[in-house]
Amino acid sequence: MSDKVSLSLTINGAQHALTVAPERTLLDVLREELRMTGTRRGCDAGDCGACTVLVDGLPMLSCLSLPARLGGRDIRTIEGVESGGELHPVQRALVQHGAVQCGFCMSGIVLAAKALLARNPSPTLDEVRHALGSNVCRCSGYARVVEAIASVGGRP
Amino acid sequence: MRYAEPETVEEGLALLSTHDDARCLAGGASLVSRMNAGQVAPAMLVSLHRIDELATTTESAEGLWLGAMSIHRAVATEARLRGAMEVVRSAASQLAHPAIRNMATLGGSLCLADPKTELPAALVAASARVEVAGPAGRRSLPVEQLLVGAFQTSLGKGELLTRVFLPRGLGGAVGHHLRFSRVSADYPTVSVSLVLAMDGETCSHARVVLGSCGPVPLHVDAADAVLVGSRLEARDVAEAGRLLVQASAPLDDVRGSAEYRRMLIPRLLGRALSQARELAHV
Amino acid sequence: MSHDAKPKPVPVPVGEVVGQSVPKPDAREKVTGRALYTDDLVLPGMLHGALLGSPHPHARILAYDTSRAKALPGVRAVLTAEDLPPVDIGPVIKDQPLLARGKVRYAGEPVAAVAAVDLPTARRALELIDIRYEVLPAALDVDAALRPDAPVIHAPRGEGHPNVATHIRLVEGEPDKVWARCDAIIEDVYETPAQQHVYLEPCTTLAAVDPDTGRITIHTSTQTAFRVQAITAEALAVPMSRIRVQVPRVGGAFGGKVESTNQPITVALAKAAGAPVRLTFSRTDDMRMMRSRHGARIYMRTGATRDGRILARQVRIHYDTGAYADDGPFVAAIGSYFSRGPYRIPHVDVECWSVYTNKLRAGAFRGFGNPQVHFASEIQVDRLAEALGMDPIELRLRNALETGEKWLGGAPVESGTLRACLEKAREVSDWHRRRERPSTTSPGKRRGLGIAAVGHVSALLGSSATVRLNEDGTVNVSTGAVDTGQGSDTALAQVAAGALGLSLEQINFSRPDTDTSPYDWCTGGTRTTFTVGHVITEACEQVREQLFEHASAILERPVKQLELRPGGVVGVRGEPGLSTTFGAISGYALYVAGGPIIASSRWLFPAWQLDTRRTKVEGLPSMGNGFFVFAAQVAEVEVDEVTGKVDVLEAWCVHDVGRALNPAAAAGQVQGGFVQGLGYALTEELVWKDGHLVNPSMSGYKVPGALDVPVAIHPVLLERAFGPGPFGAKGVAEVGVVGAAPAIINAIRHATGARLNQIPATGERVLRALLAHEAPATKDG
Repeated sequence: MSDKVSLSLTINGAQHALTVAPERTLLDVLREELRMTGTRRGCDAGDCGACTVLVDGLPMLSCLSLPARLGGRDIRTIEGVESGGELHPVQRALVQHGAVQCGFCMSGIVLAAKALLARNPSPTLDEVRHALGSNVCRCSGYARVVEAIASVGGRP
Repeated sequence: MRYAEPETVEEGLALLSTHDDARCLAGGASLVSRMNAGQVAPAMLVSLHRIDELATTTESAEGLWLGAMSIHRAVATEARLRGAMEVVRSAASQLAHPAIRNMATLGGSLCLADPKTELPAALVAASARVEVAGPAGRRSLPVEQLLVGAFQTSLGKGELLTRVFLPRGLGGAVGHHLRFSRVSADYPTVSVSLVLAMDGETCSHARVVLGSCGPVPLHVDAADAVLVGSRLEARDVAEAGRLLVQASAPLDDVRGSAEYRRMLIPRLLGRALSQARELAHV
Repeated sequence: MSHDAKPKPVPVPVGEVVGQSVPKPDAREKVTGRALYTDDLVLPGMLHGALLGSPHPHARILAYDTSRAKALPGVRAVLTAEDLPPVDIGPVIKDQPLLARGKVRYAGEPVAAVAAVDLPTARRALELIDIRYEVLPAALDVDAALRPDAPVIHAPRGEGHPNVATHIRLVEGEPDKVWARCDAIIEDVYETPAQQHVYLEPCTTLAAVDPDTGRITIHTSTQTAFRVQAITAEALAVPMSRIRVQVPRVGGAFGGKVESTNQPITVALAKAAGAPVRLTFSRTDDMRMMRSRHGARIYMRTGATRDGRILARQVRIHYDTGAYADDGPFVAAIGSYFSRGPYRIPHVDVECWSVYTNKLRAGAFRGFGNPQVHFASEIQVDRLAEALGMDPIELRLRNALETGEKWLGGAPVESGTLRACLEKAREVSDWHRRRERPSTTSPGKRRGLGIAAVGHVSALLGSSATVRLNEDGTVNVSTGAVDTGQGSDTALAQVAAGALGLSLEQINFSRPDTDTSPYDWCTGGTRTTFTVGHVITEACEQVREQLFEHASAILERPVKQLELRPGGVVGVRGEPGLSTTFGAISGYALYVAGGPIIASSRWLFPAWQLDTRRTKVEGLPSMGNGFFVFAAQVAEVEVDEVTGKVDVLEAWCVHDVGRALNPAAAAGQVQGGFVQGLGYALTEELVWKDGHLVNPSMSGYKVPGALDVPVAIHPVLLERAFGPGPFGAKGVAEVGVVGAAPAIINAIRHATGARLNQIPATGERVLRALLAHEAPATKDG
């Protein structure tokens, strides 16, 4: 018989009390229990980055994270990136640069970029490429995505 | 599946000893992936994240103790990892991809003992020792003695890895890690970890360890011996490479055939040595 | 060169919307995570589906025992072929059961399906299904499959080897007689891999059956609502009128979602369980169960005269179509049809086989048979240039098809812009300077520049559109077209806006729904902007006529004096003050005279019938060819002599898009296509061992990441507006992938002298080629 673990998660600043089987991943919980479906499931193995969330500001893979261990940590998902109905500058830049195609990678890319810009407000194109090292995009070829993110910090 | 979060090493050991199929959960990057794929379903998960001791870094005159739960990102940004210890910092800063480096841990990497990964090789190059806690107390052993086979460690039942000791190494020595992979976010096809010291143009110390070239990190004393005392000229590198190739049993997979890996060994060794030499002369 | 028919002048859009890089309306919901993909949808009582894959590449199914699985608490349905209608599906050859029936033909082939209350339960149930197999000898590659005594994969359908799904022959001129007149002849064998789509969203379907009416509703990730409807109806023997297909956001497709994926089996589960079922593949199941690009082996021989006229070409293509034909016959047709390349070669002999093997089926993938033959052709043309001592671009220019010349088979090239693309590529890449003096580089690394010319096809098959005027003068546009992320919804809305002089805010572009949308065949074949755009402009033209008819009455001016003005206004030419709005006209039509303003348009792209007096044709399946489009791609690479690893440093992609409706979106297609081609060139390859895929994961199978590609992929859009596409637009979507691999391989050759005839050009293959090149005693010297 599986244990159920009771826990409280802080997601986008709000507390969520949950009782889950310990093997359920954060991705399972976000998508299935909390119906926060903006976090995408692309591989369930940490290879695609579509499920990226920020934990205490760092990009992590929700498909490899067990929520039982995340009590008290600050979890930020794509649903918590806008503020006051305003797009985050990186979201706005991706839209304006025509960088968005199928969009399935976008939640993860927005979060990875947000984390980068928080510690490096004016990244170079190369720094952006490195920050996207966990995020596969199969549509864009990355060029417009990287340029859009770099533009937020004032780089070309 | 049962789940527990011990707060001390002793609690952890008690949990491990009471369940036959208990698994330690460190960063989760490999274990959760394998659970998702249905490849493993441990009866008990013992999460180590609440044990403060395992996340502690301490410095001594001889070197640095890194807690087993140190994430790769923390290792990669640990400014005290200089000189010979740099080899570990360098490997931790390059492996896999950023989100994995934010999750996966030093202890997790070691205990997985995956021959595809590069951090164990870097730790062997750094002459690291590990501390293991078990029912009979704590013991310390060279990392080579922990890694006994592909996905096999010498950890006994009910034991867990607590921390890793990196000796400072020789003054003036430099550590360097070179990886070659198909794409950036991939396991290396071959990795070269080395610690090198130069006396003018002559190599005074060398310790070369290869990843993905056998079930465990490949270290050949005779290859180091060829380099030490030499001026690291092409024939010295070739001879050391030859000895390494001879002792290797490379992986043979989609990242490269065994034969290709044997071709890469002397080639990457040469590049890694010349890069390290540049660092040594800075 | 003469034209068969005088083309209509290309219409000019009204207002400023066409040609603007307007942000895509769906981009916002995608960057906020609010976009809904199929796996995000939940229905009350919804169950979760999963499929069991075959453990053998070829085996007879002796017996099933599903009793243990059915007994597992939470399991609501367990299906095998015994529970399904005995129907085989397939776009050309009806050879695929929904679940393996009688035998399995590839490892991973779905043999059983489960619906359960949650996914873990469904997966546990799969483990409890017992199937007894008798393992059969397997044919694991084309050579093995073509042996006289090869295991027979499907019941023979006629004469010839039973494992040959398609055999095509195209002959023009007298190739056998002209080889002696060639001053240089190059002959080689080229090999290309089974590349996989790796759309980031695995295939997924949510199906529900109304318990009262029996009506089936399908939400699914697909490139075509209407083909899903038709295929599901066929597979389950249900009338199409009982099936409704709706398409939420699609997380990439690239050809992999052109045919059915898991829609029919999900419907079967929903029917059996009496509850809605969502079946979303795991990445590994998607990779083992769906499809790939055709791996190919191509023998090619090309001969030219000293002055650079290519006289003759012989081609022998073997496509590995895997266990089921799927789109393989059409892929073989396109491959054959494009194997002459975009060149005027008077004497050609092409023979092509698509061959069954006991591996994952190969099907449609961006480029559709063309990347394989372009790979062979463009490398061979470079080698020919070397043999003739000519610049590679110069040789291509001398042989480039021009407007009015004929494609292989006799179809006319209506807008022959390859020359313009090549000349532009030469200019923007600074070709001569970089070729003569490759930029400096670090020790152990060498740089080089390579080019490929590209000819591809756009349009084909049927589309329709409905355009209707709302009471306030805004417009609803309905088509069946699926936007798989490439941006067709945006470009097509811009087309409607440009046709009627509206702003994008005044256009409602509705999503595909087989209950309400007019028919569209598929988002594939680089056709959506072209073909659907065409029917939208035609329908808008009818709406304009209706608007003018009423405006004439309202403004008391003859129709011929009226004009469209931006913003939804009909005015009188030469009288700036005299106008009426679409809203006023709509009110007039609704309440005074004429009735609602609405128009529909339909079109089947007129397929060219091959000219059999000119070309000897055998076995070519009709694929409704389309409108020829051209491009030139240049890549600069750096080759690591230590490891053989190749990095692409910069690329210039010159595409004639006719008219760039949305330049940013078109550029995104060009760049994204190039990077898929870069993956094809350097890393992507499904690998089998003993009939089992060894890398069905995104760890084992590597697509390029942001660090593996340059940011400097320069899209250069030529706008030679021409033809029936909207405002002269031509298709671009697939084109970007076609020339990338040969451009990169030609650049490796230029950098190092190493010859590669096989992709992906992994470090291992490149290093071996380098060593072979440096050892002149070897046969490659």
